[in-house]
Amino acid sequence: MRVLTKTSLYYLLVSLVVFAVGGTVFYLSLREEIYDEVDDQLFTDKENIIAYIQQHDRLPNVTSGISEAILVRDADPADLVMEHLKDTLIYSNYDEEYIPFRQLTFTAYRQGKPYEYTILKSLMDFDDLTESTVLAMVWIFMLLLVGLVFVNYYTNKYTWRHFYDTLSRLKRYRLSQHQPLALKPSSTTEFEELNQVLQSMTEKIHGDFLNLKEFTENVSHEIQTPLAIVSSKVELFMQSENLNEEQALLLSDMYGALNRLARLNKSLILLTRIENREFAAEGQVPLHQLLQEQLAHLQEVISMRSLNVQTVEMQEVYVQMNSGLADVLLQNLLSNAIKHNHPGGSIKVLLSPQKLCISNTGAAPQDQPELLFSRFRTGHESVGSLGIGLALVKKICNLYGLLPKYNYNNGEHSLCIYFTG
Amino acid sequence: MCLLLRIPSDFFRNLPFQNEPMKVLVVEDEEALKESIVAYLRQEGYACEAAIDYRSAMLKTASYTYACLVVDLTLPGGNGLDIVRSVKENQPDTGIIIISAKNALDDKIMGLEVGADDYMTKPFHLSELNARLKSVLRRRNFNGQKVLRVGEVEVHPEAAEASVAGKKLALTRKEYELLLYFASNRNRVLTKESIAEHLWGDHIEMLDSLDFVYTHIKNLRRKIMETGVEDYIQTVYGLGYKFMSP
Repeated sequence: MRVLTKTSLYYLLVSLVVFAVGGTVFYLSLREEIYDEVDDQLFTDKENIIAYIQQHDRLPNVTSGISEAILVRDADPADLVMEHLKDTLIYSNYDEEYIPFRQLTFTAYRQGKPYEYTILKSLMDFDDLTESTVLAMVWIFMLLLVGLVFVNYYTNKYTWRHFYDTLSRLKRYRLSQHQPLALKPSSTTEFEELNQVLQSMTEKIHGDFLNLKEFTENVSHEIQTPLAIVSSKVELFMQSENLNEEQALLLSDMYGALNRLARLNKSLILLTRIENREFAAEGQVPLHQLLQEQLAHLQEVISMRSLNVQTVEMQEVYVQMNSGLADVLLQNLLSNAIKHNHPGGSIKVLLSPQKLCISNTGAAPQDQPELLFSRFRTGHESVGSLGIGLALVKKICNLYGLLPKYNYNNGEHSLCIYFTG
Repeated sequence: MCLLLRIPSDFFRNLPFQNEPMKVLVVEDEEALKESIVAYLRQEGYACEAAIDYRSAMLKTASYTYACLVVDLTLPGGNGLDIVRSVKENQPDTGIIIISAKNALDDKIMGLEVGADDYMTKPFHLSELNARLKSVLRRRNFNGQKVLRVGEVEVHPEAAEASVAGKKLALTRKEYELLLYFASNRNRVLTKESIAEHLWGDHIEMLDSLDFVYTHIKNLRRKIMETGVEDYIQTVYGLGYKFMSP
């Protein structure tokens, strides 16, 4: 949920509570006030009535006070009501509904005889008042709400704009591209602080990244020479006339491991160089030609494994990339299809302007497909392979904005490269 | 005594140098690697000299003529490319092989552009270096052997043909390359790895190339022996193979 929506909702919620509580309190205090007033008037009327009776020995005219009616009845001497206030409902024929009244019952003596008087005051006005109060409250609430939400939304949008700008820049930030994060200065302290923290953080990360990269590069390059020395010494050693079988086997193992290390190092250097974008796109590379060349080159291996190559589609496709890398890409895709195949299996090649697909028969994958493109990930049956081939494929694809996809279906692995991304 | 004085002036120029060892200069700052290369090439019968920095390399190339130069690019005191340039200018007949730890494509292109004959990336197989050196010398026409001969086996690189005791061998491309590699490194132990790399180059990584080496060697051996000669390809324990006159 966006922060604007969220704060607006909170505002709404709080306003709702405030208005509900405020409205209730307002209603209650208003009622209290009105009751007080009505009761006061009823008591005044009572005094007036008693005084009038004492003076004139008869009931006053109803209209003289605020009371709308006076009820008189003989009081029961055993149960005298001295003074009693209460609410009551009286049915009005005219309005055809019950109307709330406030009544005061008291006893007064006339000619030594107790009479019970009840005076009534209609609360109709008070009801109207409550109604209009609530209505007014609702209106005020609505207007305020709309106002609040609008003001909140726009002020927030204005004050948060630097935040969103920072966010979008962060999203676009790529560690491998050597562009520092240029964030807009903000007058909001928090955002300015955030920007500074982000800036110093990305600078630090970028520095670490460069160091690490440099380290990898240096290690890879520096390893070449010692490797060359050891390799050459072992090779010289092998030429010795008087080696026994045991020594020869030791040397052979050493030599094998050395070669593996050398190849691994070469691949790592290649990976690093792709990451460093050291290969410029040379121009339109005829992919169909390269593919045919690679297939011809691998023909021997393919026939030795009795694999069957089917060219499903082979159109003329030109791709903007470095031709050396295009070779590496095709080579790795094809060798992958050969390596993970079973004898007598098949390889399907499809090249169209949209995509390049190399499919091969083979055992079901054990790994999650997305891990296939990571380094040093090898299938179960590929002994001695480095597991770096598909990582290279992915790196090259990333470099040129191509989309590699892996799919396993019905005993057929297929690796497709989509040219349009 | 009089006869001796009347030696014709072009006598030395026309001397057949075939028996004279060819001079190769190895320019490599890494002492241990330099020693290996020099040792291997000396065993091959070259008069091999070495320089360990830019200055001594320049001095040597200025004073002597070499059949071939094996030069590293990163040297103390200067860039190997400058040596290549100067040699190219002053002794255009000298073959040049660059060996570099830098895998940089630019270096390779640059090296070949300024006139190097070949480019190798460290680490490399000494046998591969030897084969390439022979190939460069052949191409440079610098008294290089036009025909490689091991016993009765003859390889004619110009025609890409091979024959045993005068009988032409029907070889596949890979078998021919294998035989040429063997003939260039006769009496040497060639590892399966170096053979695989020689035959398949970069493709070696993914394939069970060592099995293919075995298959090719089996076929080559059969084809040679079918001509009625003894086995030339000797298997050396777990190490590899040696090509020699039986």
